[in-house]
Amino acid sequence: MQLFWLSVGFGLVTASVLAISAVGLSLQFGITNYINFAYGDFMALGAFVTYVLNNEVLHWNIWVALVAGSLAIGVLAVILNRLILSPFARRFSKSFYVLIVTFGLSLVLLNIEYSIWGADVRFFQMPIDRALHIGPLLLTKYQLVVMAIAIVLMLGVHAMLKTTRLGKSMRAMSDNTTLAMTSGIDTKRITTITWFLSGTLAGLAGAVLGITEGNLTPASGELFLFVIFAAVIVGGVGSIYGAMAGAVLIGLATEISAAFINPAYKLDTAFVILILTLLVRPAGLFARPGKA
Amino acid sequence: MTTDRTTTPATGPDETRFALSCDGITKAFQGVRAVNGATFDVPEGLVTALIGPNGAGKTTVVNILSGSMTCDSGTEHIGGTDVTNWPSYRIARLGLMRTFQLSRELGGLTVLENLLVAAPDQAGESMVNVFFRPSAVRRQERENVARALDILETYGLFHLRDNRASDLSGGQKKLLEISRAVMASPKVLLLDEPMAGVNPALIERIGGYILDLKAAGVTVLMIEHNLSVVERICDHVIVLAEGQTLATGKLSDLRENEEVVQAYLGEVIDASTHG
Repeated sequence: MQLFWLSVGFGLVTASVLAISAVGLSLQFGITNYINFAYGDFMALGAFVTYVLNNEVLHWNIWVALVAGSLAIGVLAVILNRLILSPFARRFSKSFYVLIVTFGLSLVLLNIEYSIWGADVRFFQMPIDRALHIGPLLLTKYQLVVMAIAIVLMLGVHAMLKTTRLGKSMRAMSDNTTLAMTSGIDTKRITTITWFLSGTLAGLAGAVLGITEGNLTPASGELFLFVIFAAVIVGGVGSIYGAMAGAVLIGLATEISAAFINPAYKLDTAFVILILTLLVRPAGLFARPGKA
Repeated sequence: MTTDRTTTPATGPDETRFALSCDGITKAFQGVRAVNGATFDVPEGLVTALIGPNGAGKTTVVNILSGSMTCDSGTEHIGGTDVTNWPSYRIARLGLMRTFQLSRELGGLTVLENLLVAAPDQAGESMVNVFFRPSAVRRQERENVARALDILETYGLFHLRDNRASDLSGGQKKLLEISRAVMASPKVLLLDEPMAGVNPALIERIGGYILDLKAAGVTVLMIEHNLSVVERICDHVIVLAEGQTLATGKLSDLRENEEVVQAYLGEVIDASTHG
């Protein structure tokens, strides 16, 4: 039983990281209608910028470095969209072409990361943390902070989408871009803000992944991307709330299966859930009309 | 027409002010000219009908005027401002709103939210205001909600305010489109066949709403095939044929115009007499 609760604790931490990253990916997909294959590399870059600020150059506190690193990736995402992705999206009506471009961008970013930081495993500069007993769960202070960040962000994203003009504009644009524009919504501006938010969430997810895993490599984002895809598709592509629910489901299932079956099958567990969900609900658990 | 439209609203010989004007608009699709030099003025504060046979280019003209489509040549002015090929959101913010031939709604949003996204000049659009002037944003949001509920009440959609827009019936979607346009406090309203596919009772209601908007000072340009509706609610008529302006004036005068009768009215009158 102790093993079960231990794995539930890990599962909640993984779900938290997944939720942050899956919501970022879903936000961007909902607006642009194409999947960004470079998202995993945005995550790794976020982790490495945080690493540079925390360990390599400035020795900032990990949480300050994490905020700065995340915002930097938000800005980078806006720039990459403006310079690379947006011109392709304008030129080609089929999103398939832009998807290929994001795949190419992913390879470029990954190799830039390798050329700068190499393939060695790196570590954040954080004091050694003691595990705390919270009910039946055993969690470190860092893991608790990561979970708190995820909860606050999910509530924040929910409040933004439901109550603010910006959120309503994003939902309107995700629903019908032409109609949103003729209703007076500046879709170009909303797209830019969405890329900033998506990039920031990717950078943040990469950094908290590094914190919870205890290490980071340029490939860590790409490997995690498959789990994010599973969470997003299980929840329903384009649905923010689906992404949150998918993250919790996949996060818990992968960690509990790792404890009782074999940690090597974590990714397999995620994809078994994905296949089962698609068999029962092909559009995902919380799919919205008009989206995938 | 040689009036300088870049600085002042265009006016006609009898000092009629024009809310919307287009001059020599052309648009071709793969070599086929859908609009071929359409030129007309829409008098301010009146209801104008845009009529013509199928394929005359009416919807393409409305798409161009609302910024949903760019034109190949020609100019467009709204109240004296040159808005040629402006994106539709800028045209909407200048006060020109439109509806579509087949009703479009933001299906994933509630009926109330469909109106709220169209509210003009919202402080909550700026992240600076969201973080540093939250009370002003909230106050404006409350005012917008109150106004949206008022409009929904007027258009008979109040009881559906929390329903998803995709769940509405065809007629309700027509009303939602008009309500959303009204929410933006438009100066000019383009209605693309607002009476198409709706029952006679609703045609009466929509006609009444259009006259109410006219009374409130809104300029309306509507594509309409139903001549009895045109006769009843439109002050001015523009006839389009083969992408060009064939004639403009009152419907009663146009009935005497042989070109117009040949190109359109004869066909419609025949259809209504034999139908």
